[in-house]
Amino acid sequence: ANTDVLVGVKAELDAPESSQPNRGRLEFFVDCTANADPEFEGRGGEDLALGISSALSQAFSSSNCLDLCSLCVLPGQQVWLLYVDVLILECGGSLLDAVSLAVKAALMNTKIPAVTVNTTEEGSSEIEVSDDPYDVNNLEVSKVPCIVTLTRVGHQFVVDATKEEQACSIGHLSVAVTESGSLTAVRKTGSGSLHPESILDILQTAQEIGINLNQQLVEKVKLESSVKKDRRGFLT
Amino acid sequence: MPLDGKRICGPEGTKSPLLFIPKKQTNLLDDNRKRTDGRHAEDLRPLFLRLGINSQARGSAYIEMNRTKVVATVYGPREIQRRREFDMKGQLLCEFKFAPFSCKVRRQYQPDNEEKALSSVLRETLEPVVCLHKFPKSRVDIFVLVLENDGSALAAAITCAGAALVDAGIDMYDVVIGCGLRQDEATTLVDPVYEEEYRPEDNHQSGEHGNMVLGFMPLLQQVAALQCDGELQPKTVSAALGMLMESCYGIYSIVQECLTESLKNKLKKREKDVTKVIS
Repeated sequence: ANTDVLVGVKAELDAPESSQPNRGRLEFFVDCTANADPEFEGRGGEDLALGISSALSQAFSSSNCLDLCSLCVLPGQQVWLLYVDVLILECGGSLLDAVSLAVKAALMNTKIPAVTVNTTEEGSSEIEVSDDPYDVNNLEVSKVPCIVTLTRVGHQFVVDATKEEQACSIGHLSVAVTESGSLTAVRKTGSGSLHPESILDILQTAQEIGINLNQQLVEKVKLESSVKKDRRGFLT
Repeated sequence: MPLDGKRICGPEGTKSPLLFIPKKQTNLLDDNRKRTDGRHAEDLRPLFLRLGINSQARGSAYIEMNRTKVVATVYGPREIQRRREFDMKGQLLCEFKFAPFSCKVRRQYQPDNEEKALSSVLRETLEPVVCLHKFPKSRVDIFVLVLENDGSALAAAITCAGAALVDAGIDMYDVVIGCGLRQDEATTLVDPVYEEEYRPEDNHQSGEHGNMVLGFMPLLQQVAALQCDGELQPKTVSAALGMLMESCYGIYSIVQECLTESLKNKLKKREKDVTKVIS
């Protein structure tokens, strides 16, 4: 089974949150389309969508993950607001892991136009966006985490579980791991419980896998952006 | 976010006065290795728990940890109305709510994303604890209301909801105990108050830092809930986990005492009622 996820990042200039005047904002929206599962029709996918977006914001909550201060244009007035829109097209297991990989790849690819702030004589400020469409900045994504979920099947734990494996399991532990190996979020999901002794093993395994996964993703994205293939159609 | 149209909001562009209070840089531990409220790093706050505070509900509990105050009520099990939701296992409906006046900043009446996320965390914590197979095709409702939030609200809510389920006589595998922890580099503070809790918006440039919440079933030795955020290493998490489990056993002894006490009172009351009927 496949898991298909499409992620787009849009940047807008907006007012910052009043409690954090010199930080950009990051917002996650997850849409579970009815294409993935007829149960998602109407408002059916809302719970799952909320679960995924809250898991993402928890994983990104540490201030070291994505430097939001660099997204500030005018402190207290204008900052970049990044909308990360996740579209779920097909669910074939390990949805959260796939979404986090796609989000990281999309953020690596995100280009923020260069802006200059001019102060007029009256003291008011004007924001000017560069005319050159290639005058853009990339985001610093080296500390953005990927999520690794270990699924408990019987007495064993499985990484990258298929839909069938997920149906057999009751407990999952999702761990967000950065490239340097620090864990930015851990959460137990599902209706089962875990033994404390197995948690240390899970965390260490998740860390190893996470570091590897981050490296592979970065390599893949670099390769993808350097090679120009003759493409026919979007999905090939 | 949808605004509450039934209330008069302030003029546009109003800001909370709290934003203008300069932030004090206080150390988590003072020179005597004591915290701001005089506790040691691994000390818990005094805990007060009472069952059966709501006479209308099937079960209820109230917990107080100094200024953190939480009420939980349990209704049901009741039949599920909609047929498509039928399941041979019972279902839990959890609602986690902050009272509008519970935090420093006023909370809205409509559930916000944080409350929705905490509700689902609470549901996933209680699902392994309750014997769901005993309630086929039915649902148990658990409502948790935070009256005052002075840190570790989720941990208090877990303990409180567990106690309320016991009071309701819902079949359970074990009680569940919640406990929170704050990690700041080498310092570990158990049961943090609001000021001690880790907040991602404060800048933490280096070292390990974060919050952890554990929901623990002490007799079965199972982890029902685990939440960490911040930036931690696996070794730190497992060391902190050991510390949290230790604290959970501490809380468990208090909860156990309270549960037996409440059961004794219930039996006494029943005896009285029976003798009344006979006479």
